[in-house]
Amino acid sequence: MAVVDAHRFAESITCHAWSPDHSMVALCPNNNEVHIYKSSQDQWERLHVLEKHDQIVSGIDWSSKSNKIVTVSHDRNSYVWNLEGGEWVPTLVILRLNRAALCVQWSPKENKFAVGSGAKTVCICYYEQENNWWVSKLIRKRHESSVTNVAWHPNNILLATTSTDGKCRVFSTFIKGVDTKDPKAGSPAESKFGEQILQLDLSYSWAFGVKWSPSGNTLAYVGHSSMIYFVDDVGPSPLAQSVAFRDLPLRDVLFISEKMVIGVGYDSNPMVFAADDTGIWSFIRYIGEKKAASSGSSYSSQFSEAFGKFYGQSKSATANDASESSKSRGGVHDNCINSIVPLNKAGSLKVMRFSTSGLDGKIAIWNLENMEEELGQQF
Amino acid sequence: MAGAAEFVEADNAEAIIARIETKSRTIESLLKQYKHVEALKTALEGSPPKTLDERCKSANWIVVHRALMAIKDIDGMLNALDVEYYDTLMKYLYRGLSTGDRPTCDQCLKIHEKLTERAGLGCILRCLTDTLNTV
Repeated sequence: MAVVDAHRFAESITCHAWSPDHSMVALCPNNNEVHIYKSSQDQWERLHVLEKHDQIVSGIDWSSKSNKIVTVSHDRNSYVWNLEGGEWVPTLVILRLNRAALCVQWSPKENKFAVGSGAKTVCICYYEQENNWWVSKLIRKRHESSVTNVAWHPNNILLATTSTDGKCRVFSTFIKGVDTKDPKAGSPAESKFGEQILQLDLSYSWAFGVKWSPSGNTLAYVGHSSMIYFVDDVGPSPLAQSVAFRDLPLRDVLFISEKMVIGVGYDSNPMVFAADDTGIWSFIRYIGEKKAASSGSSYSSQFSEAFGKFYGQSKSATANDASESSKSRGGVHDNCINSIVPLNKAGSLKVMRFSTSGLDGKIAIWNLENMEEELGQQF
Repeated sequence: MAGAAEFVEADNAEAIIARIETKSRTIESLLKQYKHVEALKTALEGSPPKTLDERCKSANWIVVHRALMAIKDIDGMLNALDVEYYDTLMKYLYRGLSTGDRPTCDQCLKIHEKLTERAGLGCILRCLTDTLNTV
């Protein structure tokens, strides 16, 4: 089965992030604290509680090379936490926001991080050596509403954002003295700070999660209208595709490979989308398949017993109408999933493991290695 | 930009209404031949009209309503209707429900149930969240 581990940490989890070696997880239990848990022999042990924020922590990211944690909160502040002698020491980052900070992500090189906010702005923060201080530079223009999610392009310059004005935008975040001009990079990387490279108007309602594919060639984002959007050739003439699906909307996405995407959201069961040989994206299936009868034949017999248990609840629900069965199908999560985080091995482009957390307070770890046959796709 | 669009629209509204009138005549003749599904397809074609003009939207609703009320075999209709029409049909069902007219609501609720079974909650979400392409 795809789920390796699922543990309920709290009533509800707003966001989570993993330590570089994936042995520890930092999560916000829907309050102003960040809890760090370590896994030891099937047990989760709470090691640290980071208390500095005044309101709900809306975003956490743990840098894999420098082992720093960045947190943002509805209290409009951000802290960078550094482990010094067994204690996490916070450094305040002045974001200069007048509304809540909503999301945060370290850039691939980890010399910058981006914060999306309810103040219709994106903050790009970088470290100033001479002042020993994190500086925030704002992209003020363009966004007409809250910035719900940010995603870094692998080139460390381009940043994609989604907003509740329904648009997905791509900006250049080139900062003199922090970024070096790469002679090999294409024209977008040479743009000035805050310049908008692209605006996508595919969605008519709130847009939520956005991600780049591992190579940075494809962009995926989701709308509140039960749609997912894929954009190839990000630049002056982008190729966009919209895929509508039959169930509740998604909140976040993750590229497993160039041709496969996992979407999570209100349906509480991760969905798999894939591109065929011609590059056309479509919905493939749920990871925890809800139609036990139709998919039963594709599973080998050794799984059948486990599946019987897994679908024990959902079978009783199939007699009811469609809307009810989607609620009580006995999946791993039983409420909206609001974030999905990759668990890559270092240097690997393919994401074979990932974790999801949601409003039910659970974090589930998924492994796709034994799913390749079921998914019938080349990763 | 917005000003220019409005200007074009005022001109456009007459053209759209003329088109809807033609559509209406086609639908009447299709209904006489008991081609209910064909009639509904014709009604849904080119909807929602790409305009903010309420007259166009109302005119088109009248046409769709005419075709909608003629449907008796809902399953058969949904079988014959292409999937890309589902979202638009759902929008008209909600418009029908908002009229408060008893027979219209009865018919819309019946179709709504069957359509939701087929197209899922995503179809309802798309209809509720789309504030731009209203019918």
